Amino acid sequence: MLKPDADGRLLDYDVMVVGAGVAGMETAASMGDMGYRVLLVDKNASVGGRAILLSKVFPTLDCASCIVTPKMASVSHHPNVQLMTYSEVDAIARNSDGSFAVELHKKASFVDFDACTGCGKCEEICTVAIPDEYNYGLVTRRAAHIAFPQAVPKKAVIQRRGEAPCTFTCPANVKASGYVSLVRAGRYKEAFALHLENAPLVGSLARACYAPCESDCTRGEKEGTVHIRAIKRFMVDRYYAEHPEPEYGPVENQLETRVAIVGSGPAGLSAAFYLARLGHQVTIFEAEREAGGMLRTAIPAYRLPKDVVDRDIKNVTALGVEIRTGHRVTSLPELKRQGFDAVLITTGASDENSLDIEGRDLDGVVGCMQFLHDVNVGKLPDVKNKTVMVIGGGNSAMDPARAAIRMGAGRVIINYRRGRQEMPAHDWEIRGAEEEGVELMLMSTPKRFIGKDGKLVAVECISMVLGAPDESGRRRPVPIEGSEKTVPADVAVLAIGLAPSTTDFPAEMKNGKGLLVANPQTLQTADPDVFACGDCVTAPTMIINAVAQGRRAAFYIDRRLKGEPLDVPFDGVLDKTGKAAVLEEAKRFVERRPVPQPALPPDERRKTFECYEKAMSEAEARQEAQRCMNCAECSQCMECVSVCAPKCIDFAQKPTPLSLNVGAVVVSTGFKILDPATKELLGYGRFPDVISGPQMDRLLAPTRPYNAVLRPSDGKEPERIAIILCVGSRDETVCNPLCCRIGCMYAIKQAQLAMGALPMAEITIYMIDVRAFGKGYNEFYEQAKDMGIEFVKGKVARIEQLANGNLALHYEDMLGEGGRKIREHDLVVLTVGFLPNTDVFSLYKGGELAADDFGYVREVDPISEPARTNVDGLFVAGTTIGVMDIPDTVLHSGAAATQAAAYLERSGGRQ
Amino acid sequence: MSESRTQLRDMLDIAQDEMVMRDRIADLLEQGPKTIPELAEILGCPSREVMVWLFGMRRYGLVEGIGRAGADGYFQYELMKRP
Ligand SMILES: Cc1cc2nc3c(=O)[nH]c(=O)nc-3n(C[C@H](O)[C@H](O)[C@H](O)COP(=O)(O)OP(=O)(O)OC[C@H]3O[C@@H](n4cnc5c(N)ncnc54)[C@H](O)[C@@H]3O)c2cc1C
Ligand code: SF4
Ligand code: SF4
Repeated sequence: MLKPDADGRLLDYDVMVVGAGVAGMETAASMGDMGYRVLLVDKNASVGGRAILLSKVFPTLDCASCIVTPKMASVSHHPNVQLMTYSEVDAIARNSDGSFAVELHKKASFVDFDACTGCGKCEEICTVAIPDEYNYGLVTRRAAHIAFPQAVPKKAVIQRRGEAPCTFTCPANVKASGYVSLVRAGRYKEAFALHLENAPLVGSLARACYAPCESDCTRGEKEGTVHIRAIKRFMVDRYYAEHPEPEYGPVENQLETRVAIVGSGPAGLSAAFYLARLGHQVTIFEAEREAGGMLRTAIPAYRLPKDVVDRDIKNVTALGVEIRTGHRVTSLPELKRQGFDAVLITTGASDENSLDIEGRDLDGVVGCMQFLHDVNVGKLPDVKNKTVMVIGGGNSAMDPARAAIRMGAGRVIINYRRGRQEMPAHDWEIRGAEEEGVELMLMSTPKRFIGKDGKLVAVECISMVLGAPDESGRRRPVPIEGSEKTVPADVAVLAIGLAPSTTDFPAEMKNGKGLLVANPQTLQTADPDVFACGDCVTAPTMIINAVAQGRRAAFYIDRRLKGEPLDVPFDGVLDKTGKAAVLEEAKRFVERRPVPQPALPPDERRKTFECYEKAMSEAEARQEAQRCMNCAECSQCMECVSVCAPKCIDFAQKPTPLSLNVGAVVVSTGFKILDPATKELLGYGRFPDVISGPQMDRLLAPTRPYNAVLRPSDGKEPERIAIILCVGSRDETVCNPLCCRIGCMYAIKQAQLAMGALPMAEITIYMIDVRAFGKGYNEFYEQAKDMGIEFVKGKVARIEQLANGNLALHYEDMLGEGGRKIREHDLVVLTVGFLPNTDVFSLYKGGELAADDFGYVREVDPISEPARTNVDGLFVAGTTIGVMDIPDTVLHSGAAATQAAAYLERSGGRQ
Repeated sequence: MSESRTQLRDMLDIAQDEMVMRDRIADLLEQGPKTIPELAEILGCPSREVMVWLFGMRRYGLVEGIGRAGADGYFQYELMKRP
């Protein structure tokens, strides 16, 4: 007798049927008809199993769709059958009362099935092509797809295995995989729009981002990372050339709320952009005469031209954001008095660390930020023919050094206290500097600046050696006594680190390092209306981190202004896709070398502040985008979202785990198809026109992947088709001694259908014998012979490709003249054997589900109690016990339904 | 008689090129219908790969085969709409 569980709950379903092929559908419908409440689960997006993919069925030649679709419809509409597709059973265990505890999960389809109308628009626009498993890999489908035309339920699913490494690694979660995919598809405007969703400063990032996405790109494990930034550069240059002004204005729904942002660097501009998009009134206060922060004043034009910064800022101001330049904020209360409801501080970290050594105040000794600022605002420091020594080894040392070269310095030296390996600057920056003639003076540090008449004339340097590691784990440089030497120099630029620009704010807002203290999640400071983000909170990092923080701050400020709680997560991000699986799939990919980034040669670079990296051409950018390996499958290009009228795409969807109690279980998870490539000499996977039996059925089906029955190598209608029986069946060499039971008949079916489609074709079936045991089967065989299909008794040993592309079959002629023969064909079909689907054994957790000698589930007594397994209450239906044809599957499923019903009645009846 | 020991190019790898190649195929078909070998010749790619891209296009109504196959066994394909 079934009892309520601990929560007083009775059974969720009388029976769960796992696998919705012919067997599962038949069992579910029969039991539903008997009045049991049935849960029918399938891991695929549609019910129908393998049979719905067939052309016609033997021996009646009824159309497979006509036979299977009514069953599909019946389980989907049956009042007693609950369908759960795209769901996987994880565990089945038997309870002591004879019922079963089941763990399963609905996979994330990223589509709201209730809203999806099955229109297929997402599929049409999707930018990721993937081999179509429902056509056995003959053609492609899309990451967003409806399984096949007759799918039930007819709902789209999106194949997405996580966050692509590039997108995951980007601090702002800019959908790198998405815009790469869009550029590959030639949709540049869409790529730009996608970028705006996560970062508005597209042009600046395309030139000056340190591109952490690239450092984690999976292609980097092969021929070299996809040059994602160069692809972005092409995309944004093209977009800006076509759109000198943004295509939008202020949003329609303007709110009353006013936000003051202090600082117009990447953090402030980004926050302003997203706040203004939400309708808030945003004013940015900027102390400098022009907006842009470090983009404007620090990064030299040869890396980031200032007209690009201007155009990026237009993305922000077009929304109605006001930027008041030349306005230093020194009092937060004053801003509140002016009526701002919230304040965001984004003042960055551009104060200089100083070097307390003799001569620091000499004329000619300058801070790096001061030097770059002057360069960028056009007050070019006079370095012509002079010697410039830059002190420091980070990226910020490279900029003044390379700028000095461009201003005609006679000699530029970078003086760094550790070795080349230890330099924090990017390797490509160091190489670029060296190419332009910058000298590296390593393992050395200045001891004092030597002056004459108040002006710098030389730097006394001392050599260093690497000692024990410091608290950061890096080996600490130690001076070598007595190694001092004097290096003549006219200008010394100190690039030894930057400090937060927070002197205008009260001490209680800061930590010991002068950084503003803000909640890392919400970026709110101790004052709930004041938020802070960017380098003034994090210490100096990179543009994209500041952008990421700006968008995050906007999210929480918006909530604060709307009176909504702040304890909600920002940006639902999936786990990063593992690279191992992607690389495994990519083992047989052709080599694709990176497309070189066009750039000015070093000699020309030295003379000009012109941007030295050039944009790729359209063809180059698309070629580089082709190198992307679609790590996460769906690229997050968001095209589907833009066309889905009922708005059913939901990328925040997560797998839904479920725990259920059911009275009985019927497993109908079917069989597997032997990989034809295991019969290596037959050439599958090496010769395109050697195909498998299931592929031939697709070619012959009304929903075929081609417009006719064509050979896959070149689209020609085949004239001489060979069908080889027993490939990997009755074959000890692949450990499969079983006769596949359906191969002879489905091969004869295919031969008859091919003859109908290609009346002029010669069709030969190579066989050991023909097993035509069922009713009407022998007649079907005789009919084929009468139609002119040739049957050759002989085992095919080997297939070779001829120079004309045709295939030479080497076989042993066992009748006729006998002996070794060779015959030419232009399409060869391998009637492959089948294997048990052994996944079922790991599903049952309550002990051991018994297998037969061939690995199929064992029926304890196939003659008197078919469908019963060694686990009382767990039954099997259809090909889970061994391959059989559709009529036998239907019969066996009837037996399974009856057995399961009897069990339910015995154990307490339906609930 | 040439016997290839090498594996065919992976379908997933060929699929990766579809979004670029379909534009090039559309450009060519805009000038008039063509067979697969004709397209392959101009594109300088194996016919097998052109098959994958072309039938990826056909699936979404961008191209269609015309009438019956010619005497040489090949269909001509025409552009129905651009990607
Ligand atoms: C090339 C070919 C030609 C054929 N031609 C004919 C023919 O002409 N006539 C004929 O009568 N028969 C033919 N057959 C045989 C016919 O396809 C099978 O008899 C029939 O599909 C068996 O149905 P099934 O439900 O047992 O298995 P399947 O159709 O394989 O269905 C099993 C279902 O279980 C699902 N599943 C698997 N594991 C899980 C899990 N863990 N959780 C949830 N769901 C799961 C699968 O997604 C699938 O939907 C042919 C077979 C092939 C391969
Ligand atoms: S986001 Fe892009 S790649 Fe992903 S399913 Fe949608 S259209 Fe396809
Ligand atoms: S291969 Fe493509 S998806 Fe994968 S990390 Fe690189 S750019 Fe991103």
